[in-house]
Amino acid sequence: MIGKEMCQDILDKALRVSNALDADFYLSSQEQGLTRFAGNSIHQNVSHSDAQLHIRAVSGRRLGRAVTNDLSDAGIAKAVGQAEHNASLMPEDPDFQGLPDPADQAAPTNNTDSHDPPTASYSPEERAQAVGIVCSKAASSGLKAYGACRTGTQEIAVASTRGAKNYHVATFAGLLTTVMSDSSSGWSKGGSWRIADLNPQALAEEATDKALRGENPHDIEPGEYAVVLDHYAVDDILGALSLYGMGAQAVQERRSWMNGLEREGAMSPSVSIWDDGQDPSGWPVPFDAEGVPRQKAAIVLDGVIGGPVHNSYTAGKEGRTSTGHQVNFTGAPYATNLFMKPGDQTVDELIASTKRGLYITRFHYTRLSHNKGCVMTGMTRDGTFLIEDGRISHPVKNLRFTQSYVEALAGVEGISRNTKLILSEVGFATRVPALKLASFNFTGVTV
Amino acid sequence: METARLKGAGYADVRVVQTEQERYVVRNGAVDTLSMDQSMGFGVRVLVDGVWGFASSRDFSASEVDRIAGLAIQVAKASRLVGLEPANLGSPVTSVGSYTTPISVDPFTISPETKLALLLEVDRGMGSVAGISARQCNLVFIKEQKTFANSQRAHVEQTIYESGGGMQATAVGSGEVQRRSYPESHGRMQGCAGWEYITRMDLPGNAERIASEAVTLLTADQCPSDITTTLIIGGCQLALQVHESCGHAIELDRVLGSEAAFAGTSFLTTDKLNDFSYGSEHVNMTADSLSAPGMGTYGWDDEGVPSQSTTIVKNGRFVGYLMSRESAATLGMESNGCMRASSWNRIPLIRMTNVSLEPGDWTLDNLIADTDDGIYVDTNKSWSIDDHRYNFQFGTEMGYEIKNGKRGRLLKNCTYTGITPEFWNSCDAVCNRDHWEMWGTPQCGKGQPGQIAHTGHGASPARFRGVRVGVMR
Repeated sequence: MIGKEMCQDILDKALRVSNALDADFYLSSQEQGLTRFAGNSIHQNVSHSDAQLHIRAVSGRRLGRAVTNDLSDAGIAKAVGQAEHNASLMPEDPDFQGLPDPADQAAPTNNTDSHDPPTASYSPEERAQAVGIVCSKAASSGLKAYGACRTGTQEIAVASTRGAKNYHVATFAGLLTTVMSDSSSGWSKGGSWRIADLNPQALAEEATDKALRGENPHDIEPGEYAVVLDHYAVDDILGALSLYGMGAQAVQERRSWMNGLEREGAMSPSVSIWDDGQDPSGWPVPFDAEGVPRQKAAIVLDGVIGGPVHNSYTAGKEGRTSTGHQVNFTGAPYATNLFMKPGDQTVDELIASTKRGLYITRFHYTRLSHNKGCVMTGMTRDGTFLIEDGRISHPVKNLRFTQSYVEALAGVEGISRNTKLILSEVGFATRVPALKLASFNFTGVTV
Repeated sequence: METARLKGAGYADVRVVQTEQERYVVRNGAVDTLSMDQSMGFGVRVLVDGVWGFASSRDFSASEVDRIAGLAIQVAKASRLVGLEPANLGSPVTSVGSYTTPISVDPFTISPETKLALLLEVDRGMGSVAGISARQCNLVFIKEQKTFANSQRAHVEQTIYESGGGMQATAVGSGEVQRRSYPESHGRMQGCAGWEYITRMDLPGNAERIASEAVTLLTADQCPSDITTTLIIGGCQLALQVHESCGHAIELDRVLGSEAAFAGTSFLTTDKLNDFSYGSEHVNMTADSLSAPGMGTYGWDDEGVPSQSTTIVKNGRFVGYLMSRESAATLGMESNGCMRASSWNRIPLIRMTNVSLEPGDWTLDNLIADTDDGIYVDTNKSWSIDDHRYNFQFGTEMGYEIKNGKRGRLLKNCTYTGITPEFWNSCDAVCNRDHWEMWGTPQCGKGQPGQIAHTGHGASPARFRGVRVGVMR
């Protein structure tokens, strides 16, 4: 971990050597330990760290960039000079309205609530112990566990010639496992910024139980089924809707699923989805790579489609201010801290209300088939069961689906009251309930 | 390595990697990105009592080097807490030498102004077509300097160059969103090559055509819905088919379960080696790391094993895996040099090299003429495959109906789906070397922490019988 003072020192050095009239500097640093296991043994175990200084230099309506992990005085000066030179080479971009101005933004937060010292100092031995709990549980059931346990610290800091100055440090912890028999598999995944929130024993039992109940799956015909989606599958839906259309660049280029649906009641009135980088019940990242505080953004409110999230460039094109969603140093704005409004049922009640349908643990390898409606294809995985007369009757083989996620969420018939925080390895976080959907289109099965 | 040895490592290797990357993106008439990126660091991999540990840093101070070597040892010792059979690396690797990607023109000697001018010309070409709602073109140049040494006295130095470029035009209208890409989708076409690779693409000469095709697709007929027919797949799309349904399936670490919780396993279990009909007699596949400009081309892999060529499928029979030292030893074999790390701060994993479908003897014209009823598809739009690399579904940017041996009407939203060995066993013709091209995938994800590899895939068009086509909604 670099630390707040050192981060600011690096940014101050960059500011001092900058000759651009306008420039901003984004420093990102990560330390991570990750322990992988396969067949009830640790087979890969790594520790790594890196820090990168991202530089944007403005010349008129031109924006040059450079990135370096050489944080020596000479390395910083070289990269700053490179960014300035790059800016001088570019043609003017009339849509570039300049770097975000702190005076135009909501007050920056000093949210440090997502840094947990025990998580930051979690050792390789402690990760091995957590993994050992999972492997022991699987082995005691005659099964094999596969997965990963990761812990670490991430720092981001921003400074600009316009006076932006911010620093945030967060910890992360994740434990996921697939427990397998010869004919089945079960899945569980826990994530938080506090290692104490992870319960390896409970995660081991969840995945092992699914694997045991999933043994000897029956054949199943493809077709339309009502589905009860575990939280993991719902996470995939929100992730796809974010990737393929919650950002303003996609909307402005008219390739988003949102296009034509804004202010329309395209989803069930029980569906509300929002992005909130400040909420400590998620994985908070209080400002973006431009230093703009994350605004809470209503993506879907009571089934009605809202607007996309912005960075300063896409906002500038519409004469508005950024919502603070420039996630990476380059590229489009994305919603990466998503929440879905919970309901008032238990997962068992969702199943009990289903005459005939499928219970889906999670989806695998989902990809966009068509932009309109966010039509996705993918597979079920790690626990797929037939529901008959309100109860799970037996496991079934995995199915391929081809389904509009927007249309799927128009058919929400039930929402669980409990939600789960699901962290991806790349910083995407959702807090989601389980769902019951009226219909889901399965187009194939595995052999 | 000395610190690692003193602290108990039975084996150690070190990689020092410096990467320079230039990125140029022009989007809708404006320069979206002009960036020069550099990254440098080192990684230490150790075996302690046969168990792995790895640590890395960007700080080359003597104290940090010692700390990282010690951390790698600590990590390895922690691995021992959850039982594992000691790793067997097989025969020692003692490679010594140097390698540089063969290039004609160093892309880093071409001025940024020239590169930007090229992209702006491409952008103007796409922008000249009415009906385009979004256009993007890009260039990427990479120079990776890598030194590898191990405790068995291997010491190799490599300089790998990559050059890549491409364009996408998106048209919106008539209730449709349609995209065309050139030369490949997924951003760009990239190879281990110099500036000559970019000029050969003739990006400006294809810009207007690509944009026009995107607009034409808006009003094209829909691909027939859920039919079973003959499919001719163009080389660009078939390269990704090879990547997903063969390349990943033959990674021996995946077969042995190393990736089970993430990307999955493989149906090509070890009992099938030399005893499984992967495809028809027309299907021959190789994996090689010798053939620039394929993106899987180098002198030695990240365990110091020399580059080489391996037969994967011979006349339809499955005969080879992509292997590391450790995984090969489990089969009593030697590594074929497929361990690659995406960066100094990642461990090497078994990754594809240049996994290719070997050419057959048909011309594309003759193949179409020989087809009474079918569909020709090319250029990937969507891709999905299950966690055993068995059940797949692909979508393509464009398709053409084939009737009575002639290419007919344009089709949009083409998809096809199948089961990997059934699909490859339905192959009855592969086009010849005149149609064969080394395509590739510059964004192949694997591992935890995640790694992005650059892989090459040669392919020419091929014909498949009885394929399920047109699965959309």
